[in-house]
Amino acid sequence: MSDRLDRKAELERKKARLAQIRAEKLSKTSRKEEVKKAPVTVASDLDKKRQEASKIIEELGIDNFATAVAPSASPKKTGTVERDGAGEGNAYRPRCNSMDWDLEPSLVELQGDQLVPTWQIKQTKLGQSKITLTSIPPKEVVSYAKETQTPVQQQEQESEDELENYKDVQQEKIEKQILEEEAAEKEQQLKLEQEMIQELSEDDKRLIESSEPYQAFFLRSSKFVERALAHQVDIFTEYSSQMDEEGEMDRGMKLSANRIFSDERWSRFRMVTSLDWSTHHPELCVASYGTNEEAPYEPEGVALVWNSKYKTTTPEYIFQCQSSVTASCFAKFHPNLVIGGTYSGQIVLWDNRVNKRTAQRSKLSTAAHTHPVYCIDVVGTQNAHNLITISTDGKMCSWSLDMLSQPLEAMELQHKQSKSVAVTSMAFQQNNVNNFAIGAEDGSVYTACRHGSKTGISEIYEGHTGPVSSIDFHRCPGQLDFSHLLLTSSFDWTIKLWSIKSGSRTCLHSFEDRSDCVYDVSWSPTHPGLFASGDCAGRVDLWNFNADTEVPVVTTVLDSAPACNKLRWNSSGTQIAVGDNMGRVHLCEVGEQIGTPRPDEWTRFVNTLTEIRNIQQEDEEARMVARQH
Amino acid sequence: MSEIEETIKRIQSHKGVIGIIIVNNEGIPIRTTLDNSTTVQYAGLVHQLTMKARSTVRDIDPQNDLTFLRLRSKKHEIMVAPDKDYLLITIQNPSE
Repeated sequence: MSDRLDRKAELERKKARLAQIRAEKLSKTSRKEEVKKAPVTVASDLDKKRQEASKIIEELGIDNFATAVAPSASPKKTGTVERDGAGEGNAYRPRCNSMDWDLEPSLVELQGDQLVPTWQIKQTKLGQSKITLTSIPPKEVVSYAKETQTPVQQQEQESEDELENYKDVQQEKIEKQILEEEAAEKEQQLKLEQEMIQELSEDDKRLIESSEPYQAFFLRSSKFVERALAHQVDIFTEYSSQMDEEGEMDRGMKLSANRIFSDERWSRFRMVTSLDWSTHHPELCVASYGTNEEAPYEPEGVALVWNSKYKTTTPEYIFQCQSSVTASCFAKFHPNLVIGGTYSGQIVLWDNRVNKRTAQRSKLSTAAHTHPVYCIDVVGTQNAHNLITISTDGKMCSWSLDMLSQPLEAMELQHKQSKSVAVTSMAFQQNNVNNFAIGAEDGSVYTACRHGSKTGISEIYEGHTGPVSSIDFHRCPGQLDFSHLLLTSSFDWTIKLWSIKSGSRTCLHSFEDRSDCVYDVSWSPTHPGLFASGDCAGRVDLWNFNADTEVPVVTTVLDSAPACNKLRWNSSGTQIAVGDNMGRVHLCEVGEQIGTPRPDEWTRFVNTLTEIRNIQQEDEEARMVARQH
Repeated sequence: MSEIEETIKRIQSHKGVIGIIIVNNEGIPIRTTLDNSTTVQYAGLVHQLTMKARSTVRDIDPQNDLTFLRLRSKKHEIMVAPDKDYLLITIQNPSE
């Protein structure tokens, strides 16, 4: 109920206030009218008296008697009273009114001292409209544009260095990126590889390793690698820095065994039965080997091709045979073929183009050899050549290399139609396919011919008291022909020189320096007066007719003194391959001063020969005299 | 098979030889005498190098081909015998 009353009172007060405002307005207008009227209409006496009275009252200080009455009355009434009362009291009334209105807090806010801030707040509320907010950003944009313009100008002014720097930085960035990419790629690849490695299982590996192409690849490549490994070339030699003063002088007079060809499995404890140098590849040397008694499960016969050019320790080719190989040689006119004679009498043919080590073999038949073949040679020319083989029973066969099924020609070498010759060695005259010489077990030497009116053995030369171990015709080409000269070595400790041209059947000269069986003798291919010999005590001697006919010029003893079974000069006359009975092939370097002939060697050799003949004649004469006595 | 083993053993026993790796044409090791990580490293890198060398040789002359690659460094010498399908890599210390 009280609320209602309050509200009613409030409303009434408001109404009163409105009325007062209206009254003020009205009074103002009326006063203006009065001011206008005043000068025109002269005030009446009554009015003057009133005015004077009111003035007096005012002066007396009794102001506004009406106000004293008003508090009991309504504000509306007071308002009207005021208006009705004194028109000049306007200045005081608002103050009185304000006293009344102070009771109302809402109006105090409106009319109090804080009126100005409240108005301002209202104003800011208006000002906070979005328009002002949006108006700021454009300003900012403008200022920003100005700001950006200035730095650009600065950059341009600061020279191009910065630009280059910028480029460099970018390049670096790009490079970094590339590097990173590469690293990532590598990592990926590594990962891939690792994954792939994992993929390749042991079975796969075994499968690859057992495949034919892999094995072929490996055999080929391993040879290259071994050669490369053995090829000791110091390409970093600096001649200006150091000088090695080495005595090269005495090397020229030496015979030094500086290399040994040996294979743990294939050649050890096998006797070297023959040696031969290739004509197509002068660095290749074939060696045939006998049986190794200690290895019964290995093939009985082996032939190895060694390479003197590269310092490899392994043979180039390994050829096997079911029977002990007693002789071997390169097919002179065919670079790929190696021929061997066996203890069983078969002839075998190996081809290095075929990966198989097994050989093509001749048949064992009475048409061919049935005894060990110790002599084998290829004679003839490129277009017409034959393989000549002689077995120990004296049977000589000639073969075509294209047909090993049977010999083209077979001949029994017999002396005086009854005695078959046990042939141990054979030698053809240089560049001659018809005439040859053979050494026999009984110590005699025979000359023979393949064709003509009288085939077979023609002459007999006796002198050796033991089996002839080897026989060799002079082979050095030159302005004078010495191809009639024949050297033989024998178990009787001697080497003998024969001439098949002279009528005498006795030897020209006998070299008797050795006190051991001489196993092999061989003429130098380049020096007319030089030959080499090897004995069973491991001594290799070089003899020079022009220097001394009694003692060798150079002697060397092989390492551990094995029996020096076979020896062969290479085609240039600088090296001698010496095969021993332990399965090793020694490569002996012939000193330059010994090996290379001087231009007068041939004439000197002729002189030496005549001297030898004279001595021989003197000896014979002395012998005749002694016999007569 | 035993012959390959023997040959590998022989090369390995050669003075100064550090190891042998056989790699197929994809750079995957088939045989090695070295440990796994070294093998993988050598196989991958040497294979790449060999392929690059081969392509270089072939680019210069299409009729030509790489037959052997020797790489000498201060410490080692790497020898590569390339083939159609395989590579034989040998690492040695030549100064020994």
